[in-house]
Amino acid sequence: MRARRVLIPCAAALSLAMLAACTPTDVGYVEIKTVPVATPTATFYLDSVKLEPPKNGTAVLRQRVGTAKLETPAGGGQMAVLCDIVVRKNRITTVTISLLERPPRCQCRNTAVADPQAVRSCIG
Amino acid sequence: MDSLSCGHGAGGRRLVRPLVLVPVLILGLALLSAVATPHGRAFAAGDPNAKGDAISPVEDFSRELDKLKKSFGELGKKMDDSAKAIEGYTDVEKARKEIEDLRGAVAGLLDAVADNGGLATLGDKALTRARNKLRELEQDTRFKPEERNFLIEQWRKLRDDTERANQELGSARARFAELLRTLQANEDFIEELVQIRQAQKVIDVIHQLTRDIRGASDQLQRLIGGIKPPGA
Repeated sequence: MRARRVLIPCAAALSLAMLAACTPTDVGYVEIKTVPVATPTATFYLDSVKLEPPKNGTAVLRQRVGTAKLETPAGGGQMAVLCDIVVRKNRITTVTISLLERPPRCQCRNTAVADPQAVRSCIG
Repeated sequence: MDSLSCGHGAGGRRLVRPLVLVPVLILGLALLSAVATPHGRAFAAGDPNAKGDAISPVEDFSRELDKLKKSFGELGKKMDDSAKAIEGYTDVEKARKEIEDLRGAVAGLLDAVADNGGLATLGDKALTRARNKLRELEQDTRFKPEERNFLIEQWRKLRDDTERANQELGSARARFAELLRTLQANEDFIEELVQIRQAQKVIDVIHQLTRDIRGASDQLQRLIGGIKPPGA
């Protein structure tokens, strides 16, 4: 009887977790352009996921809806945040990375925050 | 949305309701005529042979009236349907939904060809495999030179074909990305265009309804015109 009392909530919680896992998540798209066309040595991370070097300087990635961080290694095992990318459902957010500057700089097609002190935030 | 035209609240519904009452009033008039007929007048229905036959004109009138009732019933339904259609066409939210659906459709296409999507990943894998296979075969000593050359040639063709396919995928990706960006950038303008298209549809619905009402009115006119006193 006691085992049953424990098992039923566990089974319910497991079912809920499985249901949540099955629910399709909303996705949007991030277009990353590099200027000039990136060399294979340029490495970027989007939400801690290492990106393949963009082909012909452009990559279009599907990304979960929300705010993703675009980062690049800054030396000493540290990461430098280049900008935040706001991803909205069925929308594309375009960001151009200028590799001519050190560290590389994000140029947003549409910017969310005007404050120059804040991390640049690109929106779709 | 309840309104007939955008931003006018329930006023639209008020415009539509009287339209629905029109056939009811016309039908009422026709019934009044029908009640008056057996006492004072006979329904000749334009049939000269029916002269002097007391039953036939009444039957003719009854038949015509049934037809009219049926036709008015259909007209009433058409009016209701038209009112619903107009309400749909003047719904701004619906226009917005159409744009969202359009964006969803383009996004679905982009999803298939995105760099981290299934198709692109498969293309990359296929290309890597072809390149690796070529590298292996160039150092492989298991085969005779002509066999090796043949295999290398086949894998070279495969590699070139895969590269071309991946390039096509890349241009499709660029096209869909551009399309989605254009949709986003011109969303407000596109919404206005959708609303214009919907307003044109409203006019079409009103034209059709007017034609139907005119048809029913002609039918009623014929029925009333057919009511003649005996011997007239």
